[in-house]
Amino acid sequence: MSDPTCIACGMPMTSPEQHAGGDSGKDYCVHCARPDGSMKSYEEALEGMTAFMMSSQGLAWGPAREAVKQMMARLPAWSGR
Amino acid sequence: MKRAERKRQTRARLLEAAARLFASQGVLATRTAEVARAAGVSHGTVFVHFKTREELVAAVVSDRGRAVMDRIHRAAENRQDLRAVLEAHVAGLARHEAFYARLVAESPALPPYARHMLLGIQAATSHHLRQVAEPAMEAGQLKRVPFHLLFNTWIGLVNHYLVNRDLFAPDASVLATHGEALIDHYMALLAS
Repeated sequence: MSDPTCIACGMPMTSPEQHAGGDSGKDYCVHCARPDGSMKSYEEALEGMTAFMMSSQGLAWGPAREAVKQMMARLPAWSGR
Repeated sequence: MKRAERKRQTRARLLEAAARLFASQGVLATRTAEVARAAGVSHGTVFVHFKTREELVAAVVSDRGRAVMDRIHRAAENRQDLRAVLEAHVAGLARHEAFYARLVAESPALPPYARHMLLGIQAATSHHLRQVAEPAMEAGQLKRVPFHLLFNTWIGLVNHYLVNRDLFAPDASVLATHGEALIDHYMALLAS
């Protein structure tokens, strides 16, 4: 059976620690949680993941942002965006 | 068998047949009639499940891409050092090696979602590599280089062998044949 995936970034969550606040009842992951435990907004998530794509894969800002937007559009937290 | 269940099974059979053909002969080169034949259904049945050829390709890319990403993630989590994460990456790709190699080779010519899926798979990989590589660079165990170059050097090496797998390992898995040597070489390059 496949693991639950984060509704906001798509990361598979294979252990309770990977859920926000270590709470397996949460459907978003540690990376998509704010310090207070709530889920990041669309803009925050978009900005954070774009920066991640740029720094980890060396992509330019425009293509990185576009790729993240397209990926986010397929995720339950942002459907209809 | 209920009608809905039969429909679900036919869809799964079409996805499986398409994925196999895409892997063996390429995404762009595969016609929907061939997918229908391989799945044992009429050509028209393909379009009952997928409105267009593009919709079928998108479903296969999403399905297989997700599977590759999950495998890499599961193999790499909790790995403590760079070599172990590289081994996990190779192991994660190996199960769908032929399909992934086609995705790498053809993604610039496919609709944007294919490339985005590839970037997503790479994001999962880079996430795990980064968790072990940056502390190792800090500790002086690895040469200090910008992370994206460290990552792209590895991806460039692996993808080159995958895209040209017929030259490096005809009739065999290129990752099974050369994966370990690539990891050894990469580790030697980065040794501080």
